[in-house]
Parts: sequence; C-alpha cells; structure tokens
Amino acid sequence: MYKNGLTYFSAIALLFLTHLSMLGIVLVRGNYESPADLMLLTAGVLALDVGYIIVTGIYKQMTYTTDFMLLCVLGMSLIFQSCFGGVHLSFKHLITCIAALVLCQAGFLLTRNHEWIRTRKKYIYIIIGVLILSILLLTGDRSMWINIGSFSLQPSEFIKPCFILICAASIVELHKKIKILFFYVSKDTLCLCGAALVIFALQWWCRDLGSLPTFAAVFACALVCRFCYPRAKISRTALGILGGVAAVVLIVAWNLAPAYVQDRLHVDIWADQYGNGYQQCQALIGIARGGWLGLGPGQGYLHNVFAYESDIVFSTICEEWGLLYAFLTVILILMMLMIPLMNPPKNYYHAMVADGVVAVFVAQMALNIFGSCNLIPFTGVTLPFISMGGSSMMTCGFLIGMLKATQSPLFRHQQETEQPEKKKSRKSAKTAKPARPAEKEVNA
Amino acid sequence: MKSIRRAQHLITLMLLAFLTGMGVLIWKLQSEAAFYISHSNKVSLGCVYDRNGDVLFDPNAGKDTYNAEHFLDVGNFIGDDSKQMTNTLVMKNKDMLTNFSFMLGVQENGRAAVNTTLDHAVNRKVYDAFGSKDGCAVAYNYVTGEIYVCLSKPSINILNNYTDLETLAEGSMLCKAFHPTVPGSTQKIFTTIAALEEMGEEKLYEKQYNCTGSYVNKEGKTIKCHEEGGHGMQNISEAFANSCNPYFAQLVEDPDLPLSTIKKVYEKLGYDVNDSGETELSVNGITSYTASTTLNSSEEFHTQWGCMGQGETLVSPLQLMVWQSAIANESGKATMPYLIANAAKVNGDLTAFAKTETGDRMFSEDAAHAVRSIMLENGADNYANVLSGTTIGVKSGTAQIGNAKTENSLLAGFVDDPEFPVAFCIVIENRRSGEVSTSTIASVLLQELKASLNE
Repeated sequence: MYKNGLTYFSAIALLFLTHLSMLGIVLVRGNYESPADLMLLTAGVLALDVGYIIVTGIYKQMTYTTDFMLLCVLGMSLIFQSCFGGVHLSFKHLITCIAALVLCQAGFLLTRNHEWIRTRKKYIYIIIGVLILSILLLTGDRSMWINIGSFSLQPSEFIKPCFILICAASIVELHKKIKILFFYVSKDTLCLCGAALVIFALQWWCRDLGSLPTFAAVFACALVCRFCYPRAKISRTALGILGGVAAVVLIVAWNLAPAYVQDRLHVDIWADQYGNGYQQCQALIGIARGGWLGLGPGQGYLHNVFAYESDIVFSTICEEWGLLYAFLTVILILMMLMIPLMNPPKNYYHAMVADGVVAVFVAQMALNIFGSCNLIPFTGVTLPFISMGGSSMMTCGFLIGMLKATQSPLFRHQQETEQPEKKKSRKSAKTAKPARPAEKEVNA
Repeated sequence: MKSIRRAQHLITLMLLAFLTGMGVLIWKLQSEAAFYISHSNKVSLGCVYDRNGDVLFDPNAGKDTYNAEHFLDVGNFIGDDSKQMTNTLVMKNKDMLTNFSFMLGVQENGRAAVNTTLDHAVNRKVYDAFGSKDGCAVAYNYVTGEIYVCLSKPSINILNNYTDLETLAEGSMLCKAFHPTVPGSTQKIFTTIAALEEMGEEKLYEKQYNCTGSYVNKEGKTIKCHEEGGHGMQNISEAFANSCNPYFAQLVEDPDLPLSTIKKVYEKLGYDVNDSGETELSVNGITSYTASTTLNSSEEFHTQWGCMGQGETLVSPLQLMVWQSAIANESGKATMPYLIANAAKVNGDLTAFAKTETGDRMFSEDAAHAVRSIMLENGADNYANVLSGTTIGVKSGTAQIGNAKTENSLLAGFVDDPEFPVAFCIVIENRRSGEVSTSTIASVLLQELKASLNE
C-alpha cells in the first residue's frame, strides 16, 4: 500500500553503508590528530543511527523511508560538521541532531490528524502571536535572536511550521464565506492573510530578509491551492491577478528595500573581494579549490571564514568533500521532499502541508546555496539539516515530521466529514472512479 | 483527488525549479572555477610568451634566471601577479594562467600558459629607440588584429620586486597606450572624415580657405597657424599635409558642415561627446580610456580647437591606432585588436584561440577611401623614408599640454602593403626640436617589425 522503495533491512544496510563509507573517507583523507578523534566521531554517528532505529522499531510503522532518509542526512551532517578544520566530534551538532529526530516524531504525531489540528487552529494563532511578541520584547534592537547566556534562539524559525499548519488547516472551510462590503470572502482566509502580513512586516522590520522569501513561498503555495480548491484547474483570471499582485508587491518591496539590499542585487563581489564580497569570494574560491572530489575532510581553509558552518556551509563541504558529495547531499534532501510524490497524500490538508514543507525547504536551500555562490543576493540563511544551528535544526526536524504525517491514512471521523465532498465531486466527474476505502488509523 | 494531484504538481514544479538552479550553478562553478582560484592567495601560475616563444612573464622570474632588464619594456603592459598594477595582461587574464583544473585541483607543475602576439625583440628595440624621451608606441595588424608592439616609457622593472617604488618616475606603472592623451592634429583625420561624410569628396575638395598665419573666428578669437607666414589658399589635401589650423577652423565654421555631423561621426568612433556616454574598448580585458571631447557651437573657439585635437579633446593612443584600421581597410569598420593568440591549459592542450573581429561601421567606405588617399599622399610627400620602398598613410600631431607649457608629438598611420598591413600610433612626450622624432621611432618600429615577421 505504501511505497518505501527499499525493504526495511535494505534501508538499514544502505544507511550504515553511507555513514561507514564517509567515515572511511575521513580515515583515509581526513585531517585528525589522533585516531581517538575519529573513533569518537564514529561512535557518535553509529550511536545516533542505532539509537533512532531502536526507538522507531519499538512501534510498527507503515512507512519508514522518511525516517531513514532523515537519519542518513543527519549522520552525514554530523560527519561534515565534525570535520571542518580538523576531525573532532561536534557534540553541539550531535545534540541538535537528536533534538531534530525527537521533533520529527513530535511533528508527525501532532500534525497527522486533520480534525485535531482544525479544532485547535486558534491555539496555533496564539502560538504565532506569542512567538512574535517574544521577538518584539525579548530580542535586541530589531533582531531575531533571543540570547540566553551562550545559548541563542531564533523564534522566527518556529513560526514556519505554525504558519504551514494554519495554511493547511483552514482550507476545508474555504466555502464558509461571509460578505464584507461587496465581496464574499472566507473568514479563515482573511485570518491567514492577516497573519501573513504581520509575519512579513515583522521580518521586514527586523531586517531578516533571508526568511521573508521562505514565508512568501509558503504563502504563495497556500494562495495557489486556494484558487484551485476544490476545482482542479486554476483560472487564467486568477493566475493573472495572482501574478499582478506578486509583481506589484515585488516592485514596492524593491523600492522600499534598504540600500544595502539593493546593492546586493548588482554588486560585483570580486571588485570588493576583501570588503563586502569577502564571504562569497572565499566561498567560491573554496569550491574551486575543492573541485569535484575535495581536499579531504578537515583539510580546507574555509573554516577560517565567518559563518563557514552555517551561511556558507555548502562551500565548506564542497571544499573538503568535493562538489560531487555536496551535490549528492542536496539530492538526498530533495529525495526526502519527493516522498509526497511517491505516496500521495490522502486528503487536501496533507497535500497542503506537503506543499508548505517543500516550499520552506526549497526556498531555504536555494537562498543558502545560490546566495553563497553569488547566483542570487546573499541573505545568510541556513541550509536545512546541514548548517549548524539549534533553532533551524529543530524546526527542520519538526517539518520533516509534518512531511511524514502527510503519508498518514485517513482517520475514521475525518473519513465521515470528507465523504459528502467526495460524492459531490463524483457527480461532476464524467467517469467516476471507485473511492479508495478509508483506512483505520494505524498505530504509527 | 485532482486537487491533491494539483498540489503534487506544485511540489514537482518547485523541485524542478530548484534542480534547474542547481544545474546552472554546477555549470557556472565548473566553467568559472579557474577565475575563482585566480583570486586565491594560493595559486600556481604559468608563463606568458611572445609570438616567438620569448618569456614575457614568469611567476618564478629572478635576476639570476633572466637578464636584469629582460621585462623592462613590457613591465607596465604585461605586468605580473603582485597586484601592484591591475590593468595588465597578467592581472586581467590570471584565470588563463592558473595551473588548475576542477577535476585535479591546483597543479604546481602544470603547463598553463598564455601565448601572445607581441614581438618582444622588436618591442625592446622600439623602447630603446625612445632614448631619453618618454612616451608610448603601439602597432598591430589591421587585417587580423594581432598586436605586435605595445610599450610605454618610463616602465617598471618587475625583477626589482617593487623595492624602487619611491624612485620610479611618474607614469611608470601604467601603459600610456591605454590612457588619455591630447591627440593634437591627428584629430584632423576625423574632422576630415566628418566633412567627407557631410559633403562628399568632390565638394570638400572644392572648399578652399585662405591661411595668413592666423585666423580670427566668428567669436572674435584668434587661431594661430604653426606657419607664421601662412599657407595661402589650400584645399583639404594641402591643408591636411600642412596641418593648417586656420583652414580647419574655417571648415568647422562652414555652414555646409553642421556640428551635428561632426558630433555624429565622433560618437560613432567612440567619443564621449558632451558626456553622451562611454564606449568601452579593451584588449583581452585591459581597458582603454574612452575618447572624449566637448563640442558646443561651430563658431566657438573651444569647439574649433577641439576639432583640431587640442583643448578638452582626449583619446588613447590605442584608439588612434585602431581607427587607422577602418581607414586602411577602406571599410569604415575597425579591426578589433587582440594580444592573446591562444592559451595552454594545465595539461598543455591549446585553447582560447583568438578570432579576428571587426567593430560596427563608424563611417562610410567612400569617406574611408577618400581620407586614405589624403593620408597616403601626405605619407608619400613627407614620410617616404620611414619604410623604404613602401608608402605609409600618416598624420602627425603636436599636442599642447598644460596650457601649451609642453608639447607632445604624435604620429598615427598605417602601411599601404597587403603583405605587411600594420597600423600604428606613436607618442613622444615633451618633445623639443632636435630630439628623437616620431618618424624616427616609426622607422625603427616598421623596419624591425617587417624584418622580424619575414624571418
């Protein structure tokens, strides 16, 4: 029923093969002072793998592909981060990896039931409100960071899954429209647009223009899905209006953008190699130095450049492991995002959650990779699962949990509420297909 | 289900867009990697060679391995990788010189190299011909675009490793062939072209103006001629050969030659007329100054003076040379110059072969033909000894610098020989009577070059 691609044991074998082969490369080409450093790293990676397999193996799952792919990416990330500038186990990154795995399960359990989420929608709005207030009250001057001692939190990261949830949970109530002046609009859509505007304004005010495109991508997906729900086709008029509004917003944003943002669109980084273009120039030089196969784990120079483990982490990996390895890592993350294509969501809520999660990941990966490589303006966002950073890692773990939830079966009460809609759509269809029988909730 | 499929399509679309971006990125990284690595501090470079295999740049050069002044004549043109000079062949083409491949990484013993069209031996002889004078000389093949000679004096000896910076003469670290200079009467070539474009050859020859040694223009200002006794009545060919200022002042004032035509021709040549915008001319990345002038009114002294190549009019010797090709070829289109014939990759395979390119049309073929005849006539009458047995089309100029405190001597022209199609421009700074002349340097340049190319 659910496609996993590989058998459970093949997936385990592939996971260990990937991580052990990487550790083998570290052994042969790595820069480590003593074998103990490498042993510690090996122990850390294997403990992460074995521990998670045991935990997830305690209860039966219908689908395990997402879990194994996540575990594979996190193990690779731990090896990458532990090798920058010399082999040593990065305990900080190990802990954030564990947090990501825990939050993946939390995300799965909390978001799989549409009805449960729909009835608690107001709490999600409250959580967003609290997070926004925490940014306004607890961070420094126009900052997005809350600093508690040596520990820093970025609350705006946690808004991302909440925003996806309110985008997805309000879709079924789209038909409940109220008249405002001459227009019939859905109350939920109005609330969603209001929340989006507040979030955009906050990002703009805090000058966190790196996260703004991520939220914009999620919101754009939500709008497109609303335009074509429940119809399958989006009308040309709607598409035109959407495109027009987007163009106007872009023009206004461009004119209102601070000078340093406008500069980044046409700046020649090589003309200012030791000034504003320093990070990107060093990142590109690092990629060139690494070539296809890299200089070897821990053998690079980019670890001397600011944000080597976060904003320009793709280049740091390219330098030490080679462009080939960095590209394969990105492909692995993309394959994880392709899960909803392999196992289609069973309802529109799950489909919208999948859209939102993919939008967040694609936007962030594009901003990080293309930005650090000077294809687009450099914004300094994290690369999901690969960059060092607790807030980002935990959010990404939760989002992958949400993506895993999109493969959940329909719940009984959900089936009852969705049946009339299915009958309605069957009437309009020329060739009605037999409905897939709803499944019982699986103890996943 | 259709709505769900629609949502799936959205996912497919986002992933495909991202993958497309990744494809573009990988292509960009792979193709530009040598450029990136050339900006690194840890880079291994290859050598630059002249057309005969002589070394023009060697990253490991020292006084123990080369003659102490081996690189003196090309020091400020070919340059080195020290970053002391930026507008040089090495700095602008460092990516070609890097011993690097994306697959193999940095190769300390790679075979990367740049092979140029320059003739180092001739270049050095021309450099020496300047004697104690400063200036520059540049020459190229007006059919193919190969630069044979390019030097600027004073120059810098890169083998001194910049330990003599404090004692270096002003202008040692830049190649003056790419920098602005007052063109003097060589500008009259292009004013003549403008007149030919407007009137045609026949009508222009009918225009005869009297020179009495000076001319008071309609603004009431006096334009003096270098011949105090005056040249009398002259046509364009005679005035061109005499480089007569009163004639050209009257020509510019003539209602039959609207200023708009002069502006149009100048702009097509690449002049920035009255801040109309710059047109870039570069040779393998080495950028040249954009010619500029200010033209306000036909009756205004400064405008007339500018059309005679004085005052605010500035050009680079490289431009002056390139424009000669459009005349010599009788096409009105310039042959674009290049210096890099080809480059060797890290494994020694040759790549980046130069191609001859021509620019946009600057003036008509008829105007090119007519001005070519005028220049050849001038060359035959006054410069017959420059290259024995061959006629050269030529125009000399004397440029007043710093309110006429000093004068630069210029000579721009071309050789009328399909077997030896060379255009050139020579500038001698602060030249006084009795000192080495531009025609002497032209003679050294052309004779040595012809001998070298025939070897």
